[in-house]
Amino acid sequence: MDRSDLTSLIADSAEKILSDFCDKKLLDQSEAGVFAQELWDEIRSNGFLDLGILKEQYSSQDLFAFLKICGRYAAPLPLAETILARGWFPDALLDESGVASIGVADGLEVKRVAWGRSAEWLVAINIEGSSLSLFRDFEVVEQKMNMAGEPSDTLKIGDPVSLIELKEEPFAQMALAKTNLLAGTLQSVLDLGLLFATDRVQFGRSISKFQAIQHSLAVVAAEVAAAQRAADAAVDSIGSDRFIIEVAAGKARVGEAVGIVAEQTHQIHGAMGFTHEHQLHHFTRRLWAWRDEWGSESYWQRRLGEWLSRQGPDNLWASLATPG
Amino acid sequence: MPALQFDRIALDAETENLREKVREFVQENESHFEQPNSDFVTGHDPEFSRKLGEKGWIGMTWPAKYGGGERSNFNRLVVTEELLAAGAPVSAHWIADRQSGPLLLRFGTEEQRQKYLPGICRGESYFSIGMSEPDTGSDLASVRTSAILEGDNYRVNGTKIWTTDAHRNDYIICLVRTQPAEENRHAGLSQIIIDLKRDGAKVRPIKNMAGGEDFNEVVFEDVVVPKDRIVGESGNGWAQVTSELAYERSGPERFLSAFRVFVELVRFCGPDPTQYQATVIGRIASHIMTLRRMSISVAGMLESGKDVVVEAALVKELGNNFEKLLPELARAVGSDGFSDFSHDSDLFRRTFEDTMLLSPSFTLRGGTREILRGVIARGLGLR
Repeated sequence: MDRSDLTSLIADSAEKILSDFCDKKLLDQSEAGVFAQELWDEIRSNGFLDLGILKEQYSSQDLFAFLKICGRYAAPLPLAETILARGWFPDALLDESGVASIGVADGLEVKRVAWGRSAEWLVAINIEGSSLSLFRDFEVVEQKMNMAGEPSDTLKIGDPVSLIELKEEPFAQMALAKTNLLAGTLQSVLDLGLLFATDRVQFGRSISKFQAIQHSLAVVAAEVAAAQRAADAAVDSIGSDRFIIEVAAGKARVGEAVGIVAEQTHQIHGAMGFTHEHQLHHFTRRLWAWRDEWGSESYWQRRLGEWLSRQGPDNLWASLATPG
Repeated sequence: MPALQFDRIALDAETENLREKVREFVQENESHFEQPNSDFVTGHDPEFSRKLGEKGWIGMTWPAKYGGGERSNFNRLVVTEELLAAGAPVSAHWIADRQSGPLLLRFGTEEQRQKYLPGICRGESYFSIGMSEPDTGSDLASVRTSAILEGDNYRVNGTKIWTTDAHRNDYIICLVRTQPAEENRHAGLSQIIIDLKRDGAKVRPIKNMAGGEDFNEVVFEDVVVPKDRIVGESGNGWAQVTSELAYERSGPERFLSAFRVFVELVRFCGPDPTQYQATVIGRIASHIMTLRRMSISVAGMLESGKDVVVEAALVKELGNNFEKLLPELARAVGSDGFSDFSHDSDLFRRTFEDTMLLSPSFTLRGGTREILRGVIARGLGLR
């Protein structure tokens, strides 16, 4: 089997599993605090948790393509966290089957840990640092949720099991994961907008026939297309010395798309999209939550801008015009 | 939904090597760089165009037998983006290189290709686009300029407008009615080449709001041209014009018009910008990096012969909006924005004002924002 076959095999089987499991009921249950164990087991038994660990077998493109698909189905599990953590600590985690989650170190606490309450392993990351530590010994101090109803807990840590340095800033790697989750979710929101506009009839015709709606959807499609390209470019920079720059541009650009896409798509859906019963909010609330996680637009814009300013005005174009 | 695909493309080493050559050329020719903007319409410099022709950087993708370089769309893209980013005066040959030449290659007769293309490649022969008319803007199929066949000649009557550089270009390719309008408005249209210096067209300049006199009204009163000036087939004008517009829409000129403002903004803010300034700079950069990659994706699709109408419209929609956003973001970065007197009389201010005054044209030329959104909506299956 050659590479492209493997890539499409991964995508196809991920699509199959996630589309089977991720319905409105599962998303509602998850927000009520129920860990989607069956889905977790299915994903684990199909090997997706090893996407970051088996580096001979899977490329980073496979890993982040999988996260895009997770974003498309709003998969309500700490998959990005577990997959990346396993890749960072292969010796400790290879044979583990539970949740390994990730949060930001703050003294003796680790904050914003996705599904911290369900985690068996914890990785603490420093903002803009290259070091990270693995913990087995921790307890939940506070259970919180983000805007999307995803657990985002504060944990108190004991002594680390392991402490390592990474070449590629772990905070930026998580930003890259969110960028791809967002790109996938943005695609779904566009699809929902197109579907609703086509089905909904007012004034005797499908509202998709009104120019105002068509133009809104064109704007949404343009933002979604830009988000896909920006996310892919950030993935392609893994291993290069432009990694931080490209992640910065990717997270910032995708985050900017979120504001426009969510606002316009809700407008198209009218009051129906504002109800809890409709599925749209499971996606748009994730967009709003994730654009602020692991660095908001302004955070990454600033880092990109500071770097460009150091290159200087006469090197500006050369700093932007990359081959890939 | 139909997938809008923008492939990941990495430019090859040969293309990057060419980029270095263009940068050397730009440095050697700084005397030509006087305009404070990177707009593709405003810098008219035939001497510079001829120098580019000598380098082989016009008609780069065309067959060698017509004077072309038989190089890839990526090679061409790198040359154009380097020139625009530097603020090079490219308008003299721009339309001929981007649009008229490819049109003649695709649809023109062998005689037309041999007659017109070599001069374009040398940077000596310049073309205008004759699409809009006083009563025809976005509704292009409503053109009324007529070309009536009389024996071996066509007699042309009508008026074209917003015709960039018609007062100094050599030829104009006009969309005309060769048959009266019927129920199918797209039938009976043709494209015809008119010699602006010899055929007797009357050209009247129109001053734009920025003070420039780039565009014109061109009047044809019983202008008689030989019938071999019809591009391709008589009656095929609508299909030809639509394909021509796809070439027009996705190049780097659709997001780099305001680039010099960005350069001067970074210069103004210096190596140690405030947090707000750095945020603005990073925001602008994230857009350029993404748009540039989307534009390269479209070049790749053109290279492999794919239909790019929707993707090109999408790049133009995003790019033109961004070109307008850039100066808006830039003006806010002094301690009190542009009310801060430290901007007075410097290049940042001049570049900003120049670009601001041109900016209304960004979302008009080459298809208005409204038309492009319609094209995208059609691609999404909504019409």
